[in-house]
Amino acid sequence: MRRLMYEARAQLASPVRNPRMATVIGRLLGLAFLVCFGTGLYSHFLQQPLPWMTFPTRPAGLYQVTQGTHIVAGIACFPLLLAKLYVVFPQLFQYPPVTSFANFLERASIALFVGASLVEITIGLLNTYQWYPFPFPFKQVHFALAFVIIGSLAVHIGVKLPVIAAHWRAAPVPAPEERHPVDTGSVEASTGADAETAQSSDEGLPRTRGLTGRVLSYIDRTPELSARTSRRGFLTTVALSVAAVVGLTAGQTFAPLDAVNLFGPRKKGVGQQGVPVNRTSAQAKVSTTALAADWVLTLAVGGAERSFSRAELVALPQTDVDLPIACVEGWSQMASWRGVRLRDLVDLAGGSPDADLRLISLEQRGGFKQTEMGSEYVRDPLTLVALELNGETLDLEHGYPARMIAPGRPGVLQTKWLSRIEAITA
Amino acid sequence: MRAARGVLIAAGVLGLALGAYVLLDTVALRRLPGVALWIGAAIVLHDAVISPLVFGLGVLTRRAGHRLAGGIIVTAQAAIVLGSLMTLIVLPAIVAQDLGPKNPSILPLDYALNLGLFWLVLAAVSVLVSLWFYVRTRRANQRPSRIQS
Repeated sequence: MRRLMYEARAQLASPVRNPRMATVIGRLLGLAFLVCFGTGLYSHFLQQPLPWMTFPTRPAGLYQVTQGTHIVAGIACFPLLLAKLYVVFPQLFQYPPVTSFANFLERASIALFVGASLVEITIGLLNTYQWYPFPFPFKQVHFALAFVIIGSLAVHIGVKLPVIAAHWRAAPVPAPEERHPVDTGSVEASTGADAETAQSSDEGLPRTRGLTGRVLSYIDRTPELSARTSRRGFLTTVALSVAAVVGLTAGQTFAPLDAVNLFGPRKKGVGQQGVPVNRTSAQAKVSTTALAADWVLTLAVGGAERSFSRAELVALPQTDVDLPIACVEGWSQMASWRGVRLRDLVDLAGGSPDADLRLISLEQRGGFKQTEMGSEYVRDPLTLVALELNGETLDLEHGYPARMIAPGRPGVLQTKWLSRIEAITA
Repeated sequence: MRAARGVLIAAGVLGLALGAYVLLDTVALRRLPGVALWIGAAIVLHDAVISPLVFGLGVLTRRAGHRLAGGIIVTAQAAIVLGSLMTLIVLPAIVAQDLGPKNPSILPLDYALNLGLFWLVLAAVSVLVSLWFYVRTRRANQRPSRIQS
């Protein structure tokens, strides 16, 4: 067993599998994880704010950028995480597998770290496709695993800090002992930069016999690439991979990349009135109520309740704003909206602009049929009860007869098919 | 260094505890085995399937290309890795599209076609890059004095 582990490590040795490369890729991956974590928390608290929280309403495209970045960084984690795992893979074959209780805990935390990270980015990706083949709820697990990952990242950095510090800067010439990430020195393999030395890699060990031995010697006879070519090739592959997965999908968020949006789950301009749709009227079961002739928007924001028919809303002073719809799934779409300023409407109904509001949709069920809006958005002159989209009457799929549109909020909080607006009395 | 390590590890353990708490607090108990299963399966899939495949790919490309310059082998490896990675990411989109998205603005592109085109462009570019490496190596071999001086 022990020899097998040594053999495995010797065979897996490669000029890119060293602590310096682990540090280089690890830094990038750590950064991507932190970006995902930060933007993810921001999105989470926008949707479920703690009582004392207020949020910036400018720039109006803030959420478009933070959530777009969340998805872009998340997809960049695929090549980065796989590259990091490639670099440290020989570590898996440590012998003895566990040296002490502390070592056991460390290895267990690495296993959890790796498994949780792989699951996190995978379910995140699948969520952008709105495909849920996993036996657990997306939102809660994605949120909980984020803490598990950041926690194990901190533990991992803590454990490896001396190694990271030693390899933060490139050594001018890598010393022979740095060829292996692990390790005990008993794994000899290619200490030199060329094929000749690799050929003699396991002189110190007795040959393994049988089929395993034949496979191993077949692998041994395989010519090695020079260390420089290997390292450059590896780094180029990682860079190209990140560029490809990001560049060919990010067009769903960032307009300049729209032309090369080959693989994004959404496409700018695709959807009713040129705007993508998340929840349809059929899913929300509002087709009848939203089209009913007696629809009114009721405001209960102070004193007596006041109701407005759509005709009455249209008769009020109208405002035009350009605001993006930005979804938690990362896509976003700039659009022109026309409607009544929420601030003016609240005024008209005798409410205070400093109150937080509860927005109630015609939707019968669904997590966002009822949402809350902080007073910073209520006061903002860009916040509208929108009646028109891109020059036409709001489509049913976009929330006809009236929907909310506010700067810097996630799409799920831009309540469609508005029915009632209430002040939240503290 | 010691203090920094201590703080990091302590903060990490705290983060792990918070994650476990959130998980237990928000996810139904009967769903938790599914989470554990996926985490375990992810590790097995990576360590026992993807890694050996990548290792085998490295050995086979190096053997197949043993007469060629290192740059050409690396180009071929990079192209295969890049194409496989993109396939890994886009394949679920193709499946989800096949299962039928909930509205036509979800997954509106022809992902299978685009993936095919991606592979084609990848192959074409790697052939060009390989040719460039080939020509460069040949020239270098024909005029060794310029390299050595």
